[in-house]
Amino acid sequence: MAEQRWINAVRGFDPEMAGKQAECDGGGPVVGTRLASRQEFSGVLSGEYMDHGDPPWRWYLMVDLQRKPAGYEQDSVWCESNSIFLV
Amino acid sequence: MTKDPLHTKFCEMMGIEFPILAFTHCKDVVSAVVNAGGFAVLGEAMNTPEVIAADIKWIREKVGDKPFGVDLVLPSTAPPAADLNELLAGIPQSHRDFAAEIKKKYEIPDPKEEVDLHQWGGLNQEISRAQLDVILEERAPVFVSGLGSPAFIVEAAHERGIKVFGLVGKTRQAQREIKAGVDVIIAQGYDAAGHTGPIGTFSIVPEVVAIAGDTPVIAAGGITSGRHLAAALCLGAAGVWTGTLWLASRESDSDMIIKEKLLAAHSDSTVYSTCVSGFPMRITKCAWTKEWSRPDAPRPLGSPYQMLLSADYIQAANDHRREDLMMEAFGQGASFVTSMKPARQIVFDMVEEALATFEDLTGDDE
Ligand SMILES: Cc1cc2nc3c(=O)[nH]c(=O)nc-3n(C[C@H](O)[C@H](O)[C@H](O)COP(=O)(O)O)c2cc1C
Repeated sequence: MAEQRWINAVRGFDPEMAGKQAECDGGGPVVGTRLASRQEFSGVLSGEYMDHGDPPWRWYLMVDLQRKPAGYEQDSVWCESNSIFLV
Repeated sequence: MTKDPLHTKFCEMMGIEFPILAFTHCKDVVSAVVNAGGFAVLGEAMNTPEVIAADIKWIREKVGDKPFGVDLVLPSTAPPAADLNELLAGIPQSHRDFAAEIKKKYEIPDPKEEVDLHQWGGLNQEISRAQLDVILEERAPVFVSGLGSPAFIVEAAHERGIKVFGLVGKTRQAQREIKAGVDVIIAQGYDAAGHTGPIGTFSIVPEVVAIAGDTPVIAAGGITSGRHLAAALCLGAAGVWTGTLWLASRESDSDMIIKEKLLAAHSDSTVYSTCVSGFPMRITKCAWTKEWSRPDAPRPLGSPYQMLLSADYIQAANDHRREDLMMEAFGQGASFVTSMKPARQIVFDMVEEALATFEDLTGDDE
């Protein structure tokens, strides 16, 4: 799946995080409204990350999702590093 | 009373008179509340960096050296990117038919302007990052992250003299953010308008206070009166963060239909539902929410499918200003917003009622 949205991100792999079981207190703005929503996920961190800007804003890819909001179709989600809780 | 109960550590920290924080999308409300001795924050999540820079300058001109804040809804999860046509193809026919049935039943005209579905996927980390960079450049006095953790930006903000507030729905988020050096934590409960979490205001506030140490905790969710303010202070909060309260103020640029809906609203006028966006949020009841809560309605889809489905309805409701169709985020404290007052008056009335409440409790009318 092309991720052209994130052309300026620096991508990398963090072996320390790979395979870790985690939860993410997530959410984001709801496009088309001026509102937002919270969403919770749990799964396994793949170790892949993206850094946006300076200071870097780090995001990790969570795969093998065990918990995701009802109706969330995808099987992975990018999670902001400070919103991830290792379990 | 020997000590002014409203002069909290948040007032000390910010050099302000009253521990009342307004969240609003309207610059005039910000300047009125700040100039009345409170604190106010402008929601900028939907604006470009250029607009944000101009807004910061505008507010500075109106309030001088008094502090104010700028809020962004930093995301904390993002789905992998997808093609819009693929997404549209993913909406089941049963759901399309149900949306069409609502359109017919309520005689909803087409939107006047075509809905720009291509903006889906437009709000992402890179846009948030550009918005954030302009806040750092402009050195807004306070940056508030209304959702995701602002931990990664705390040091850069502090270097520029900017304070950072984090709005949380869970205690563990507060703990993380406090450890990262966030200056103020806003603990938002289930009663709140919009993106509330599942924990009630009366439970989350004292729980966060218990772990916050010296960091001021501000209570949010359903707070619309002086009695709420007094109660929040009793829970250990150092102030209140309020959104719904300002929507019907004279200065607010909300549509008059929304203002009137708010004046008529009560604690049961909202729903916590996924039917608008696929994400749970607290919004006013309207034709759309009523139909999707019918027992024979299909289950709302996830994000972004449900939003793609409801986008036409929302746009048409606003374009044609249909009272029965329009929706907004209101909190459960809506009953106490009963008249269209100037924002300054709202601040003063809240202060007066809170002081009277404390006097009633202590039997002290000095
Ligand atoms: C119309 C409306 C729009 C909102 N949009 C945002 C937003 O863009 N960013 C944000 O952090 N909070 C937003 N909120 C939530 C407020 O920050 C606040 O947490 C909430 O209003 C508190 O609950 P109350 O409305 O019961 O006072 C919004 C609230 C309302 C009423």
